[in-house]
Amino acid sequence: MITLDAFSIYIMICVLAPVLGAFTLLFLFIFEKRIDLLEKQTREIALERELQTALYNQLNKEIQPHFFFNTLNSILSLARLDRKTELIRSIETLSKLLKFKYQTNNTFITIEEELTYINYYLEIQKTRFRERLQYEISTDPKVNKAVIIPFLIQTLVENAFKHSFEKKIGDALLKIEVIKIEQAIHVTVWNNLPDHLDEKLGKGGLGLGNIIKRLDLLFPNDETSVQLTNSEDGTTVIAIFPFVIKSLMEKGASSI
Amino acid sequence: MKRKDYQIYISGTIKLGVGFGIISLLARWVTGNTILSSPETLIKYGLTGGIGYSLMGAFALILFGFLAKKIHKKYPGHHTIGDVLRQKLTPTGYWYMISVLLLTSIDSLLLQAMGAHILLHMIFPLPIFTGMLIFLLICFFIGGVGGMQRLHQLAGANVALIFGAVIIIPVYFYIQEGVYPVYEGIKLYHPYLLYINNTDAFLFIVTVILIGFGQVMIDRATWQRVFIIQKEKAQMAFTLAGLVWATIPLALSSLLMIIIFGRSYDTIYSLFFELVDKIQSTMLIILFVLFCFSAISSAISSELHATTTLIVKNIIEVFRTLTNKEKWNCTYIVSGMICIFLLTIVSFLEPNLLGLLFFFGNIYASLIVPLLYIILSKKVLPSIIPLASFIGAAGGYVSLPMLENLMAIWVSFAISSFICLVYFIYQSFFIELIPLKDHTGNFLGTKQNAP
Repeated sequence: MITLDAFSIYIMICVLAPVLGAFTLLFLFIFEKRIDLLEKQTREIALERELQTALYNQLNKEIQPHFFFNTLNSILSLARLDRKTELIRSIETLSKLLKFKYQTNNTFITIEEELTYINYYLEIQKTRFRERLQYEISTDPKVNKAVIIPFLIQTLVENAFKHSFEKKIGDALLKIEVIKIEQAIHVTVWNNLPDHLDEKLGKGGLGLGNIIKRLDLLFPNDETSVQLTNSEDGTTVIAIFPFVIKSLMEKGASSI
Repeated sequence: MKRKDYQIYISGTIKLGVGFGIISLLARWVTGNTILSSPETLIKYGLTGGIGYSLMGAFALILFGFLAKKIHKKYPGHHTIGDVLRQKLTPTGYWYMISVLLLTSIDSLLLQAMGAHILLHMIFPLPIFTGMLIFLLICFFIGGVGGMQRLHQLAGANVALIFGAVIIIPVYFYIQEGVYPVYEGIKLYHPYLLYINNTDAFLFIVTVILIGFGQVMIDRATWQRVFIIQKEKAQMAFTLAGLVWATIPLALSSLLMIIIFGRSYDTIYSLFFELVDKIQSTMLIILFVLFCFSAISSAISSELHATTTLIVKNIIEVFRTLTNKEKWNCTYIVSGMICIFLLTIVSFLEPNLLGLLFFFGNIYASLIVPLLYIILSKKVLPSIIPLASFIGAAGGYVSLPMLENLMAIWVSFAISSFICLVYFIYQSFFIELIPLKDHTGNFLGTKQNAP
């Protein structure tokens, strides 16, 4: 036979159970729509992200032919000038470059990887411009593992060749600097031959508008900027975007 | 007056979310049975029986929740259990199952009507015939004529009344009386209630869970609700409805103790309504009476609606196509006739509720596995599957002189399960399925080719 205590607990459960039931119902009535709305929003965000990734990949693809034609033209010039040894060397470098390029399908890469890629490119250009071209790359060691959108520096360097070095005579000096200032990365590409392009970024060749869009997509909640300035002593393009380590970025992406 | 599309009568106009799904299921499943049988189980099997009765509803609805998900996935575009049976069974099997559905519908409606009969008899000085006439007329207008939309409009109020009563009345009494006098009174007058090491009660619990699951599985109204609750929310709605439902018999059993703690009793069925004499406050009396009527009327209305839909959509329409107007006319006639039938029977018969539940228990138990087979299989099934339930139920009734009631129910369950299992093995090993394709090579289905 059950004791008074057990009986009291039984009665307590019997009396409280419907209260819990009623609370459950009330909770559902009040919050079901909100929960639905949240689920809908999460779905929409996921879809939007998918769309952004698709758009981003499309933009990535867009830049590739631009670069590819320029490089082919460089190699073609070497062939025309009959500089066979340099031609072989450039094709070899191009092959390495293409290999790297086709392995890069990610939405972001590290600055280190991007700079390796730039080195291949500059090596090709060096064979073409010989002593005329002098370049210098300086990076802050802290930023090596930070993320950058693929082909950002590449686009700026390519523009320097396309709009300055190939159009004008004289020494071609190029400086690439990647530094960390507070929580932002500043990528500066300077060349000594100012071009007369409209400083409006969208018109500064195919690349700059593309970079702005891609930075916006990768860092939607942070401040990013791309600035082009022409002065007497050359053309400077500065791209600023947040400092994020690659591993952290990947964790963030997978948690979404 | 322009009549609405008949589809609205069957399913209403909106798909339900979890909250409204639970309300709709509670309005269907908090019935006269809940009010009358839960005290009976408490008296017969003690506190364990009371808990067992709660578990029955919870498990039945939760288990059916798993099936609801599958049903939604496998049978999109259907609206009633009849639609699914028609797709999955041969004509013989279909008509057999429809007969069983009608029989169980009548059983279920009769149980509710008897509950209403007892309630009216206890509370109102009106002649019972007049009282029942008015009560059934209300149900006719809600379920028979109003359709799913009207049921949903009233479901919220019904459930609010149910919870209002089961929360306020026990709290009121236990504050007034205290637990100790109730315990002492029960110890004196009904000490058997306080024994929990009751092996009979455990068998009872397992058996009522089986019956409960069978009852939910064959319930036309529940099937209709499966199709009107949003697909992704069906399982959640059933699970929560099961848990919330279980709280109501618990509260009712605590109320019953208040009634019986100081005295003995004559009949179990009228016991609950004697609470009216115990309640001093007029407001609580009104709340209690409204709760009883609300529970019984919402259950009868839902059943009436589902049975009428079954007869019009899955019986009459099988023989001839009906226009929208004809469907509505048929609905009025059929639901009216059911109400008249109930009125006649209730006016002449004496009720024995748990007895009826157990009498049909054999049928419910024997239907479980065949229905599971029908729901889960991929192809049209031969008549032996539905007929297995008949053989099972018959086997159970035959074994009644040798075995007790509860064991006979397990016999029914075992026989029908065995037949289904044998057929399953037979068709898995000996029947080759030939894929049927149309002239363009599209897969149409399979046909059986016995060796």
